Amino acid sequence: MKKGINIKHIGAMLCLAMLTQACTKLDKNVYSNATENNFPKTPAQVTAVVASAYNAMTSIGNDGNTFVLNEVTTDEMVVPTRGNDWYDGGKWQSYWTHNIKVDDNTVNGAWGDISSGITKCNFVLNLLASQSGVSPATIAEVKVLRAYYFLKFIDMFGSVPLVTDYNTDPSKVKQATRADVYAFIESELTTNAPLLSTKGQSKDASTYGHLNQWGAYMILAKLYMNAQVYTGTPQWAKAAAAADKVIQSGQYSLQPIMLDNFAVVNDGSVENIFVVPFDNTYIKGFSIEMNTLNYVNNLTFGLTGQPYNGWCTPTAFFRSFTDQDARKKMWLIGQQYSSTGQPLVDVKTNLSVVLSPYVLQLSNPADTFRYAGARSIKYYPQAGTAGDMSNDGVIFRLSDAYLMKAEAEIRAGAPGDALTLVNAIRTRSGVPVWSASDLTLPNLLAERGREFAWEGWRRNDLIRFEVADGVKYYTGPRVPEKVQDAADNHTLILPIPSQQKISNPNLNQNPGY
Amino acid sequence: MQLKNLLKVSCLAIFCFFAVSVMAQNKVITGKVTDSHDGTSMPGVSVVAKGSTIGTNTGPDGSFKLSMPAGNNTLEVSFIGYAKQEVDITGKTNVHIALVGTATALSEVQIVSVGYGSQRRKDVTGAISSISAKDFNQGEATNPLLQLQGKVPGLVITNAGSDPTGTPTVRLRGQTSITGNQNPLVVLDGVLLDDPNQLRNIPPGDIASVDVLKDASAASIYGARGANGVLLVTTKKGREGGTSISYDGYAGVDKQSKYYDLLNRGQFLDAISKLPNVTVSTYDKGGNTDWQKAVTRTAYTNSHAVAISGGSKNFNYRGSVSYLNQQGVAINNDKNMLGLRFSAQQKALDNKLEINMGITYSRIKQNYNNINYDYVFNTPPTYPVYNADGSYYAYSLDYNGHNPVQHAALTLNNSYENLAILYATADYNIIPSLKIGVMGATNPDHTQNNKFNPAFPTEGNINNAKAESYDANSYKTNIHINYDKTFGKHSVSATGVYEYNDYFTNNFTAYGENYLVPENLNNNLQGGNPQKSAITSNKTEYKLISFLARVQYNYDSRFYATASIRRDGSNKFGANHEWGYFPAMDVAYRLKRDLLKDVEWIDDLKIRAGYGVTGNSDAIGPYSAIGLYGTGNTYYDPSDKTFPYKPSYQPSQNPNPDLKWEKRQGTNVGINFSLFNNRLSGDIDYYNDKTKDLLYLYHVPTPPFLYSTILANVGNLSNKGVDIGLTGQPIVGKDFNWTIGGNITFVKTRITKLSGTYNGFNLAVDQIPLGNALGRGLSSTPITYLKPGYAPFVFYLPHYTGVDANGNELFDGQTVDKYPGGIPPSHYIDPSPKFNYGITNTFNYGNWSFNFFLRGVYGQKAFNNTLLQFETVTRLPGNNTTRDALTNGVKSAPTASDRWLQGASYLRLDNAALGYTFNKIKGISSLRVYLATNNLFVITKYKGIDPEIANAISYTPDPSNVTPQNQSYIDNNPYPKTRSFVIGANFSLK
Repeated sequence: MKKGINIKHIGAMLCLAMLTQACTKLDKNVYSNATENNFPKTPAQVTAVVASAYNAMTSIGNDGNTFVLNEVTTDEMVVPTRGNDWYDGGKWQSYWTHNIKVDDNTVNGAWGDISSGITKCNFVLNLLASQSGVSPATIAEVKVLRAYYFLKFIDMFGSVPLVTDYNTDPSKVKQATRADVYAFIESELTTNAPLLSTKGQSKDASTYGHLNQWGAYMILAKLYMNAQVYTGTPQWAKAAAAADKVIQSGQYSLQPIMLDNFAVVNDGSVENIFVVPFDNTYIKGFSIEMNTLNYVNNLTFGLTGQPYNGWCTPTAFFRSFTDQDARKKMWLIGQQYSSTGQPLVDVKTNLSVVLSPYVLQLSNPADTFRYAGARSIKYYPQAGTAGDMSNDGVIFRLSDAYLMKAEAEIRAGAPGDALTLVNAIRTRSGVPVWSASDLTLPNLLAERGREFAWEGWRRNDLIRFEVADGVKYYTGPRVPEKVQDAADNHTLILPIPSQQKISNPNLNQNPGY
Repeated sequence: MQLKNLLKVSCLAIFCFFAVSVMAQNKVITGKVTDSHDGTSMPGVSVVAKGSTIGTNTGPDGSFKLSMPAGNNTLEVSFIGYAKQEVDITGKTNVHIALVGTATALSEVQIVSVGYGSQRRKDVTGAISSISAKDFNQGEATNPLLQLQGKVPGLVITNAGSDPTGTPTVRLRGQTSITGNQNPLVVLDGVLLDDPNQLRNIPPGDIASVDVLKDASAASIYGARGANGVLLVTTKKGREGGTSISYDGYAGVDKQSKYYDLLNRGQFLDAISKLPNVTVSTYDKGGNTDWQKAVTRTAYTNSHAVAISGGSKNFNYRGSVSYLNQQGVAINNDKNMLGLRFSAQQKALDNKLEINMGITYSRIKQNYNNINYDYVFNTPPTYPVYNADGSYYAYSLDYNGHNPVQHAALTLNNSYENLAILYATADYNIIPSLKIGVMGATNPDHTQNNKFNPAFPTEGNINNAKAESYDANSYKTNIHINYDKTFGKHSVSATGVYEYNDYFTNNFTAYGENYLVPENLNNNLQGGNPQKSAITSNKTEYKLISFLARVQYNYDSRFYATASIRRDGSNKFGANHEWGYFPAMDVAYRLKRDLLKDVEWIDDLKIRAGYGVTGNSDAIGPYSAIGLYGTGNTYYDPSDKTFPYKPSYQPSQNPNPDLKWEKRQGTNVGINFSLFNNRLSGDIDYYNDKTKDLLYLYHVPTPPFLYSTILANVGNLSNKGVDIGLTGQPIVGKDFNWTIGGNITFVKTRITKLSGTYNGFNLAVDQIPLGNALGRGLSSTPITYLKPGYAPFVFYLPHYTGVDANGNELFDGQTVDKYPGGIPPSHYIDPSPKFNYGITNTFNYGNWSFNFFLRGVYGQKAFNNTLLQFETVTRLPGNNTTRDALTNGVKSAPTASDRWLQGASYLRLDNAALGYTFNKIKGISSLRVYLATNNLFVITKYKGIDPEIANAISYTPDPSNVTPQNQSYIDNNPYPKTRSFVIGANFSLK
């Protein structure tokens, strides 16, 4: 009896031992993702990974952090506090008055958006280096895209980390000077632009939403235009030459109606060179109409949700458009109507909804102040949606090449075809042509304002004009309630976000913050 | 010795007037013994003539018959776990005796679960609190957690609002994690539940007892899942004897206990008529509506449970059916639950083989609350709910202002959950002292969520519908060996376990828009705009494999030592950190068996000390450690006409192969005592716990990192505290009994470190913003933080000092615009409570019983986000506001400051119940009826609806969600607390 039990006992122990031996494996099963071991394998999979290099564009080419900081800091957009709406800890006012805080979440967001583009490009380039049969054009395109991100990076933050290798030791990352990054961008663009496709989207649809050779030269033109800001040395001739390459490409022409470049369906534009495709269903994230339109404008445009009644344009900027200027149609002003033509009344206040051009305070609790400021419908609101517009975001278009070339020629002292180029733009929008004496730099800046209002370039333009001409276009006082910036002009560069400084103690804060 | 005598004398003095005992030739006495708590009959109770050996035990129905000397007029009635009673029978031939349970008494034979085994209460070496059904909260306890609320020292259960679909939050001995799940592990009859919230699927009436493993040494037996403490839940089982059928049911009514003091029609019209340039008539839409009342109702609840149990020598069983229908006071908000349970035990092979099995199935349907409180507070009282023709009066205020009744009534947002918990164990005694067994369990849990948002004519929105299916399941098995042997005065008990767990989740969702037939709700998802249809699916799996060993030793029931070690492996972690060791060691010394042997007034006294290590593996998801590719943004390729919108693929996170367990190291010293013939008993524990390697999504620099955050083990925090539980029986008499119990919980939590390294790279944050003040124009205003040196969720707010002549708020004496950048200085304010406490009183007089339970929190602060948003006169005339807003003189727009951080200490009459047990009714072995109430009153200075607000919202770390939000101590969910009245009955038939 006793013996039998012992055998059972031993047997059970043996079984147990065998089981435990077999069951200590912690295999990991992944069901809904791909792992580094099995992906990417096919060319289509590689293409899908390469496409991710562009993902950051959906937060740069929309109404996101980068856009806000390049617009609300300028004379063409203001976000006043209406009652308590749009106070948000004072951040919108701080952009307008150039009192931007180092821990501002939009500043940190913009840093993150841009740097995520850079690191994705680094990741993709690292991956492509290990793949065989990758076309040089593919690699060149990612490098040109990365150069665009770096241009945005130095334009906003000054000296930034120049990280170009995915396998960089994070503890060694330090800032490079603006001039060093400038030199890197220039070299990347001049080396890689010629490898890219020369076809615009009308000739090769697959280039739509991608950087082709002409997109690369637009980046180069932008780099040279502000070379004096970045390095202290202007490069007007190089800028004019780069812009001219785009103009001479023959791939683009001016869209007869300027605002058609921003329509709900704008992928047929013959003028747009580089766009960020958006779609209400598939590529979400562009919601500029919600930020600007009045609460009841959903009834005007058939939107499915109420807009937020925020962003508007300052009075002086609105006044810079003459009535015959077709571009003035981008502004929504006066009595608002429903889609069936009924005048709109605010249910809460019982006031008629009459948008006023006057924005004379930065904050006002009066109910009437809810209607202050003209609103933009440049990107025309899409009926049946609320946010996530289908209008593709425009980064570069031909008219910018025209005006860049004209400005560079004037600044280089050889006006050449500058007047022709500017008048082509003016004629298109129905405003009188300029004579040679009208072709002054202040006029050109104003023309750029009207042409590129709310396209995200204003800060870049104002700073260039301020640095080149010594006029306080960017740092000067403005209505409402902005005073002259501090004499050290530190506001020409945004602060390094405090979050980034904590994450990387090697970073030095920009002077003056 | 002097001190001891002094104590003895003084305590006896206090108790001397309570004790009443009386004196006794042959006579026959009959009677019945019931449980004073619920009136159920008690079999097996010892009934002895005092001072003799003449006695008997009660039968299955609790009755007894005893022949005893005529001169002896006192019966001694005793039962384990209950206070011994002396009953005067002078002149009586039949008596009814109600025994009173002793919850925390250091009873000789009370059995306590310790995880993978049980111990007698007297032998327990860790900090373990036990609570049995007779001590559960009364009234509408629709979730087992609510039965425990306030009853266990150290266990803080918070139930914000009375939403029937809400889930109480549970914290055992403080905050234990930054990002991770902080719910204690729940073990139901030996089965580790996948999700602690599944406990709500267990019918409250089926629970027999809950043992709470509080200190790290006790919880360490659950290793990687023990850091938040462990609730061991034991359900009622069948037992040997005849068939018993019991019924337990109640019906209740709930009413909202408090409202915000919003302006009514008259006050509103009066207030706006005093404003300049306001045409009053334009705001008067002819209504007279109290919107807070319009969206709520009187809610009814009913609950019924029927159980049948029985058994023979070798087989016993219990089965039950339960039904609950609970309405919320919010319209279109309710919960409906059906539960079926069956458990059985079979012994065979000369009782060497014991097989246990259990099946639990429950189905819960919930209609979630859809009240938009912005709409409630925004809409003036002059707006009607309905038009004259009975249709909804629909409107759109400037922003976020629509008819909340219409929205809540017409929106579909419900879920159906089906949960099954199945387990079986087989144990075989190879030799009497050695047992080997296996266990297998699975708990498939399926939830379907249904959503339909209708189109509202004045809003121009498009209707949309969604169906979401979530499956969670696990397969669990263990092999265990138990060895128990006594050698003279030495007793040894050893346990070894191998455990294998495999967890799965699987979900599927489908969404569509623009349906022509809204009546179809989400039952015809293909019928909308095909371009807008969206589907998603996701599946995950992780494994947990464990080995554990425990040895318990005691010498003469005098000296005790327990040592255990657990080795857990989880594939959630980095390849080099999958396995972790979780040791624990306890010692205890039972002075009553030694030094204090001859001290009469001490019935038992034990001191304990323990140290243990536990882990928290639920702090992260299954795949955080490895590099993965996932779908990124869609990109547009117009050259491919058939498939122009393609998904890009990108790395989905910064992988961290160094991820490891959060570890909690805890020291606990405690004392258990029972004095004065068990009239006063209690437990006192002091603990000092340190949690290391806290996981948090740390910011890393981009470039070079792909993403701006990485999940890493960096922070530390500490929890120190004292738990005290006491039970006294001031009066134990023949007719009248009074039991009083109290517990108090002190805990001090401090974040000690938020910096460290990852892969040689420094990770640090100065402070982590967690909670935000919410509302129009208030976004991006974090107000609570994690900061080293402070309690979690410390507020950082400007100090409000009053208002200037223009109605502008002053902060430290100045208006906002006087400060550089418009930012007044902020100050750190600790909102955490000093202590939580509960006091329970039970009175028995003859057939009557009365008990009430007071529960409170002292020293807590809460940020009244609701009033911050809505208590401002600037909301007039377009929106409604409170009456205080008219008189407080503040005319500036809302600013987050300590003006809104209000004292939220409270004392609540949590529940009270009055019951009557009927003596003898033919055919019924017991019958009790009762009336109960919950939340009859709450004493507090807090100005919100209720000071009990959600003390945490746990969330799963998600690399795409860079800013975790946790709204602890921030009151912005105005779901009302209710006051309820219940009438109930329970009876059993044999």
